[in-house]
Amino acid sequence: MLTDKEIIHLTKLSKEIRKQILKMIVKANASHIAPSFSIVELLVYLYEKVLRIDPKKPDDPDRDKFILSKGWAVSGLYSILAHKGFFDKKLLNSYCENGSKMIGMTTINKIPGIEASTGSIGHGLPIAAGMAMALKLNKINQRVYVIIGDGECDEGSIWETALIASHHKLNNLIAIIDYNKWQSFGRTNEVLNLEPLKSKWQAFNWQVIEINGHNFNEIESAINKSYLSKNKPIMIIAHTIKGKGLSIIEDDNDYHYKTPRIQELIVAKREGLI
Amino acid sequence: MKQAFIDSLKKLMEKDNKVIVITADMGFTVFEKIQKKYPKRFFNTGITEQASISFAAGLALSGYKVYFYAQAPFISMRCLEQVRLDITYNHLDVKLIGSNSGFSLNQYGVSHFGLEDIAIMMTLPKMTIFNPADSMEMTKSMEESYKIKGPVYIRMTKTGNQTIHKKNIIINDPILMDKGNDGLLLVSGGLLDRAIQIIAFLKEESINLTLYSCPLIKPINNNLISTISKFSNIFTLEEHTVIGGVGSTIANLIIDNNIKAKLTKFALPDDYLHVAGTIDYLLDESGLSVEGVVGKIKKSIRKL
Repeated sequence: MLTDKEIIHLTKLSKEIRKQILKMIVKANASHIAPSFSIVELLVYLYEKVLRIDPKKPDDPDRDKFILSKGWAVSGLYSILAHKGFFDKKLLNSYCENGSKMIGMTTINKIPGIEASTGSIGHGLPIAAGMAMALKLNKINQRVYVIIGDGECDEGSIWETALIASHHKLNNLIAIIDYNKWQSFGRTNEVLNLEPLKSKWQAFNWQVIEINGHNFNEIESAINKSYLSKNKPIMIIAHTIKGKGLSIIEDDNDYHYKTPRIQELIVAKREGLI
Repeated sequence: MKQAFIDSLKKLMEKDNKVIVITADMGFTVFEKIQKKYPKRFFNTGITEQASISFAAGLALSGYKVYFYAQAPFISMRCLEQVRLDITYNHLDVKLIGSNSGFSLNQYGVSHFGLEDIAIMMTLPKMTIFNPADSMEMTKSMEESYKIKGPVYIRMTKTGNQTIHKKNIIINDPILMDKGNDGLLLVSGGLLDRAIQIIAFLKEESINLTLYSCPLIKPINNNLISTISKFSNIFTLEEHTVIGGVGSTIANLIIDNNIKAKLTKFALPDDYLHVAGTIDYLLDESGLSVEGVVGKIKKSIRKL
């Protein structure tokens, strides 16, 4: 269990990250605020509590790796990496600007801390599996973490990887589904039903843990449990709310696309995000 | 060619423990020995071309040199988006071996033909493409692929299961096979033996062509440009669709370099075959019979 002090810190940091995301997206007139907001607690917990990484040594072979398979939530990833000191926070101001290497889909572009270029769905999980296999081959005791979107689970490559990772017993691969139940055109269960999602992954021989993806204690408990897996990859199904943290955009799929404007910003100000 | 590939791969695995081989469940009778000798560096990832390419990218991002083997149409089309985004966009050290390209799987029809793989791979920035003609060219392509720190596509065909070169070759250069002043024939891949026959028939008619084998298709070698600029009558021959292969590449070179030459492309037509047959039959049906090509070259040269 996390202490009250820890929870206060993580909660405060999550707010800071959301503020940063909002700032970047509004300035760049960009999309994808809601899918970025839904993973903030997961990102914050991983980067503050879990990942064994050193911003001064971003290429250290003995590091944990984090892959953002849902590459469009990259404003959140850039924000947490800047917070950790992987690069100057000023760089965030160039998000999606002319000539900027901070592209609106996760792209390596020699940006410290970015491990893989993603954005087209269904790529990040198999890349992460390859990295987990490399760690095993090198007998390095680190792990690979990857966040995938729920809509990504429509892709065949996800289920190909479900087979590959369990076949090779990659218990150093920890995947997290951001299960906000929206994909680009509608509700996941209306577009192409994923349920029963938990038993699907179990049937593919993964250890599956289901949590509330905004609750730090539950995230911590899931990560702790993941260490118990002896020979299965781990899938954490994180139930989340798309747009979490700004009431006017919560659970509203329009904000997969729409940039917050006057009305939304008034609410954001009231809720302390500006 | 196949044996040259296996032998080369074995050597590379022996030499460098960062070399990994992945197959998407292809290579029956190809990989058994490698699998036995290097069980930890050989992966059969199952029939999962898409995830396998990304998986290979994950290994390459972790410092491994990956040789990925699958049938040419599957490696060039089924997982093209993964090749583009995960391999070439990141310029990763992954080598794609497209086996059984062209009409190699002659009995199986279009599903298993590699008609378009060169054209597709050509569009990927900084992808090196080798189209070896025989076992020597295969061995050299493999050796060169190891030296390149980036993506490489090596195209294998059954027509290339032959040993033609007796002397050492430089794989990046056009390889001179015969000299003549009446025109230039450029062949890429396993049709080299047909090209040699074509040259011999033409000689009987007192038409002497210069013949080069061109295993390296991308990037363009400067010696290729200087070679074609010396001729006013150029012919190309390949086991690939006429769109986007070697003939197209030469056509572009002629225009881009302001070369005054007439070009005739001998390649597979922009169409699908709907028949079975031997490789030779399918090539002949596609307009690439030795006699047919000889006739067309004769006509073209006599017109000049």
